[in-house]
Amino acid sequence: MASVQTEAGDAIRITNLVKKFGDFTAIPDLSLSVPPGSFLVLVGPSGCGKSTLLRMLAGLDEPSGGEIAFMGKTVSSGAGGVIADPKMRNAGLVFQSYALWPHMTVAGNIGWPLKVAGWDRAARDTRIEEVLTMLGILALRDRYPAEISGGQQQRVAIARTLAPKPAILLFDEPLSNLDAKLRIEMRSELMRIHRATGATSVYVTHDQVEAMTMATHVAVMNQGRVEQFGPPRGLLERPATTFVATFLGTPPGNLLPVTRRGDNLVHGDVPLAPSALARGRDAAQLFYRPEQIGLGRAEGRPVLRAEFAEAAPMAGRVMVTAATGGLRLSAIVDQFPDARPGDPIEFSLSGAPDAVFAMTGERIE
Amino acid sequence: MSPSDTAAPFRRRRLTAARLVPLSMILIVGLLVLAPLLRILLATLTPPGLEAWTAILASPMSPNLWWRPLMNTLILGLGVSAGCLLLGGFTAWLVVMTDVPGRRILGVMHTLPFMIPSFAAALAWGTLFRNSRMGGSSGFFEANGFIVPDWLAWGIVPVLIVLIAHYYSLAFTIIAAALSSVGADLVEAAQMTGARRPRIFFGIVLPVVTPALVSAASLTLAGAVANFAAPALLGLPVRMQTLSTRLFGMIEIGQAERGFVLALLLIAVSGVFLFLSDRLVSGRRAFVTVTGKGGRTRRFPLGRWRWPLFAAGFGLAVVTTVVPVVVLVASSLAPQAGALFSNWTLHFWIGEGGGQIAQGTAGIFRNPVLIAALFNTLKLGVVVALISMLLGLALAHTITRNKGTVLANILSQLAFLPLLIPSIAFAAAYIALFGAPLGPLPSLYGTFTLLVIAAAAHNLPYAVQAGRSVLGQIATDLEESARLTGAGPLRRMWAIIFPLAIRGLLAGAILVFVKMVRDLSLVVLLFSATSPVLSMVAYRYAAEGFMQFANAITVLILVICLAASLIAQALQTRVQKWKE
Repeated sequence: MASVQTEAGDAIRITNLVKKFGDFTAIPDLSLSVPPGSFLVLVGPSGCGKSTLLRMLAGLDEPSGGEIAFMGKTVSSGAGGVIADPKMRNAGLVFQSYALWPHMTVAGNIGWPLKVAGWDRAARDTRIEEVLTMLGILALRDRYPAEISGGQQQRVAIARTLAPKPAILLFDEPLSNLDAKLRIEMRSELMRIHRATGATSVYVTHDQVEAMTMATHVAVMNQGRVEQFGPPRGLLERPATTFVATFLGTPPGNLLPVTRRGDNLVHGDVPLAPSALARGRDAAQLFYRPEQIGLGRAEGRPVLRAEFAEAAPMAGRVMVTAATGGLRLSAIVDQFPDARPGDPIEFSLSGAPDAVFAMTGERIE
Repeated sequence: MSPSDTAAPFRRRRLTAARLVPLSMILIVGLLVLAPLLRILLATLTPPGLEAWTAILASPMSPNLWWRPLMNTLILGLGVSAGCLLLGGFTAWLVVMTDVPGRRILGVMHTLPFMIPSFAAALAWGTLFRNSRMGGSSGFFEANGFIVPDWLAWGIVPVLIVLIAHYYSLAFTIIAAALSSVGADLVEAAQMTGARRPRIFFGIVLPVVTPALVSAASLTLAGAVANFAAPALLGLPVRMQTLSTRLFGMIEIGQAERGFVLALLLIAVSGVFLFLSDRLVSGRRAFVTVTGKGGRTRRFPLGRWRWPLFAAGFGLAVVTTVVPVVVLVASSLAPQAGALFSNWTLHFWIGEGGGQIAQGTAGIFRNPVLIAALFNTLKLGVVVALISMLLGLALAHTITRNKGTVLANILSQLAFLPLLIPSIAFAAAYIALFGAPLGPLPSLYGTFTLLVIAAAAHNLPYAVQAGRSVLGQIATDLEESARLTGAGPLRRMWAIIFPLAIRGLLAGAILVFVKMVRDLSLVVLLFSATSPVLSMVAYRYAAEGFMQFANAITVLILVICLAASLIAQALQTRVQKWKE
């Protein structure tokens, strides 16, 4: 579960947040806080509540309970609803669909929020030019949204959000509509903007690679709860639950269910580890990283038989996937296996399991 | 296609063949659409034609023949379009943008008035509001002791009301479609800037739907300007003339040239407005397709106004759909207009002639003229639907296959020309072309054939549109993937193309059928005693004061239209189960 330390200087502090839609509880009880300047990524499968959380941060939806505070000031609460004054909230949202107003030019789209905020014409023009230059789209100034490409629309959407200089930037899966190459380009672009503006950012995605590369803080969400919260490396190295362990990492790690037999924890008939690791439990799940699995038998190591499924080259090494009794195992090895799909192969496990989890999913220390 | 790439000798022949099809298509469409228009123009350039121009535009008669009808036409056009924008805009906003209860039902109900022909609404109005000024039986309200002033019984006010009640649902359909394309994201993005509701409405929502508003205004205006039934039934008795009733009157009394001149002027009037509105929304400001995924719409909470506004929306729908139909049905059953809901009798439907009621006229199902008209109507509907769809499919195919060429552009422009021409003026043009023997052709005036040709030509835009959507549904890769399985052309046609096309073809055919069955303004000039159709017979009865018969026939027309739509829906779900 999330470990939250609340400090006075938090840029975003979420306390006991609840969101219900009728009878359905999307977010049961969520607390989280990040310091100014951080880049918080909310990651999780679709339907995990990450977009619901973001919409509440943006002030588009009201929480059913709990409180959201920006820079120490409460901006939304279950009791008081949304405190709508955007000056006080001082946050901007980049929509997944970009939501560019089709009847305004690029400059018009960027200028309108400034107009609403009461900027005078000269200040608006200067700022429009500034953000357009920052995103490298000055030439598109007088085009309509329908006349520019998807990647350019994306940049305009970001420019529009940046223009009023919000202290908090919110992103709702902003890269999901771009092709793979543009996505990588925009990823570094967004990180550059984050560094340049210093705005605290909250970024929603279901892509764990985006989460791992961009975040200073990651919150892995599942069914409306924060499964784990912390810096990306910490999550990768010490997953708190089986959900986090199998959600993060490329390829994902392997979970082997084991039962206690005497002094050993066995998977099928193969003893894998001493039963002390399970801390007295009769059943547990052992977590092995792909690089802990090797091809073929090795002296003194437990061996698993599996049915070869596929092999894919990966940064000079080979990712081998095989199935055994309903489980999919992924291994990173040095050589392509001499096997065709469906052939039996043998995996050997090296070292102690990286982590041990209870059958209910939580980590056993 | 490989043959043309590899076999060079065939290229030249293929090219000429490829040109031949669009050229012959242009010839056919030209004959159907352009020739009548040129002929009517030429007919007004002969000595009697030029005389007619002077008589209408610059003579002591011209206030009567041209200026007053023009004024009435413009008042109707502008009034109807303003009324439709207000009602259609309000209902569309209510259904799409708010949390009003029963939105789905309201949405369906507001599309219905346009399905009911305008002469049905006009007849229902007459049944309720007629006063005794014109002689004959008085309407429901006067018979029950209310005093109905002349301005409410006859003339421009009732015509305005009837036409607004008819056309507002067209405006509703267009505006609702545009409003639902304003995604929630657009509104939310504006909300994030801190803009208040009115500012979001005027700054974002309204500009985005402006093109739809303009086109709704221009289409309802063109419809009102061209409408014949309502002014003829409610205006003519007090000598309120519009351009279309004037045009009809001129041709009726044999002043063909004057009629032709008025037809040209009517085309010009409606053309000017359509052109202006097109200029207004064309170019880069025509952002019809809104970017982003506009799936979700943001509903404004109405609070305590929910139920009052629901009542307003629901009441409007009831008054414009349920009330006219109920009045027509009741009136076709009640011997006295003052007692719509008592002494019901089936006399006007199946009664034998010679009795006390209705001056001894037999019920409509005993009337051989009417039976003939019923079959004529069905025949006309089916024949025109089939011919239009075949022609439309052929044209659409030719246009898409020759996309980008000059010929294809000419063809599609020609095919959409009838859309700009009021149907009564179009009928006048057909009389100009086929009213006299044309080369080897005998005079077709008054024949069923002429009616079919004119109707098919006038429905061409709808048919081509339907044909295009049919072809658009069948992406070429669908057929190609079937070809890779080794299926022959016939088998592909049967297993792939036909099932995919049938829905569009059916929908198009039914649309044309329904349009024909309830059409009055096109048939009113081309009709003759030998080929009567239902709407025309109803109009004649109404003009002679036999309201119950007219109403009974109108009910019959409504039933046919409804049945056709229901059959079409049933067939569609039967043949395309995956669409459910």
